[in-house]
Amino acid sequence: MSLCPRCQAAEDKLRIEHKGLNAKGELVWTIFHCTSCSFTWRDSEPAISIDYDKREAFFRVDPSKPYPVIMPPEQYK
Amino acid sequence: MSNDKKELSANALAVANRIGSLRDFLAFLEENGQCVTWEDEVFPEPDIRNVAVAAGRDAANGPAVIFNNIAGYPGKKLVLGVHGSFTNIALLLGYPKGTTVKELFYDIISRWGADKPLLDFIEPEDAPINENRITDNFNLYDLLPLYRINEYDGGFYIGKANVVSRDPRDPESFDKQNVGIYRIQVQAPGEFTLLSIPAHDMGRHIIAAEQLNVPLKISVMLGNHPAMCMFAATPVGYEESEFAYASQMMGSPMRLTKSGNGMDILADSEMVIEAELINGVRSFEGPFGEFPGSYSGVRKIPRFKVTAISHRNDPIFENIYIGKGWTEHDTLIGLNTSAPIYAQLKQDFPEVEAVNALYQHGLTAVISVKNRFAGFAKSVAMRALGTPHGTMYLKNLIMVDDDVDPFDLNQVMWALSTRTRADDIIVVPNMPLIPIDPAAEVAGKGHRLIIDATSFMPPDKLGSDSKIVTAPAGPEIDALAKIIQMLQNGEKS
Repeated sequence: MSLCPRCQAAEDKLRIEHKGLNAKGELVWTIFHCTSCSFTWRDSEPAISIDYDKREAFFRVDPSKPYPVIMPPEQYK
Repeated sequence: MSNDKKELSANALAVANRIGSLRDFLAFLEENGQCVTWEDEVFPEPDIRNVAVAAGRDAANGPAVIFNNIAGYPGKKLVLGVHGSFTNIALLLGYPKGTTVKELFYDIISRWGADKPLLDFIEPEDAPINENRITDNFNLYDLLPLYRINEYDGGFYIGKANVVSRDPRDPESFDKQNVGIYRIQVQAPGEFTLLSIPAHDMGRHIIAAEQLNVPLKISVMLGNHPAMCMFAATPVGYEESEFAYASQMMGSPMRLTKSGNGMDILADSEMVIEAELINGVRSFEGPFGEFPGSYSGVRKIPRFKVTAISHRNDPIFENIYIGKGWTEHDTLIGLNTSAPIYAQLKQDFPEVEAVNALYQHGLTAVISVKNRFAGFAKSVAMRALGTPHGTMYLKNLIMVDDDVDPFDLNQVMWALSTRTRADDIIVVPNMPLIPIDPAAEVAGKGHRLIIDATSFMPPDKLGSDSKIVTAPAGPEIDALAKIIQMLQNGEKS
């Protein structure tokens, strides 16, 4: 496992979610989740989705920046 | 719309009585050549996406596609495109392949209503959905063959769930209980985010729960009766039940039962995920390829934790391909978007003939109306903008005369070519609009464009207007067209 393909978070921010096995019980792929930017991916996906350098820069996420909050809880208190 | 009501045909009733679940409908589609099984092994990405897009190219007759050989998901089944073509919708309503969209529109209008619900309630222990019950160690990644719908989606989405929630201010009310389709991104084996906004019924429930600091329990129904999906996607009134609408449209009882957390759910769905809002928490969600054909961006949205899951034996995961049109989303939602706008207009303006709001949930719509006096169509257009759906969605409106079928785009283009004048275009700037319109300069705001392509009538200046050709029409011409079609097909007339 390397960095998050979307926000480049380090390994300690990444979680193994699930391993997909075939009928013989052999590993086919693994699903990961980034706890920093909430990106989820499978290691068998095409590079355009899971390789930081091949992904369009437009879709990068920097969790330290502000993002819109839907129905901000404090607004309705 | 009482004047539009008519009895269901014998065939429509026979279909309605036969179909009580997604499984029943898939069998019926298969018998009619409208459901195929993809037997070859597919990888979750990009194979499922590729097959879904290819199957969805034919909006008229494309089939549903069942996947039963997904790498890493042995034994799991996925179905896409159940509502992916107008023929599939026609079959559900008891019509044959080849039924026109206009015929389906008038049929749905004739069935519209929630005043005579047909609902049977059965005990939870008798409901097929409770054949299996999971109460801990949830793993959505294992239970469902999840995959990335579009290549830059932020994760794996459940795109066609029918979500049931009750109003925390009035939890006993059946009618205020809402069933809606909201995009769900799986965020952990037992947690997910769900996108709603204050304009949605579900959004109102979330706000109320957080204000009152009470739990908001929801039931996420997967693999549902095909009529339920159509009404979960329909903008009905806040105090109107989607269950009532769906059953009344079918004309045959739908079976309901209680979920473990107290919601009314369909007894014959494939799976129900019971969950609870994590009050005050917002998580990163998105992007997600949405129905205008563009990604809606990354936001922080409400998060839910799974509390229990029930499912049938060998559950079928039903999902949707959504993205740049035309997609299943357009077929699923198109007629049910058009019908309420028509109903609301018809109350004030009986001259309205039909409403075609098939395009991107009504971002463009065509309305045919019999002009009562000069400029009348513009007044009808303004009223359309003030309908509940029109307020946020009707961006471009084309008004045509009653001699133009708004579902026949060749006729609409003829009207645009021959009946528009430069000063018959109205642009209303700076209006409210759904935030995911990719053309918006400011998300949540946009324009309204009204093109009046109806004919002038006095006191308009008629200028050099020519008289319109009266082409032969009616049953005699329809019969001749059928003979020509038979000749072309090599059949004997």
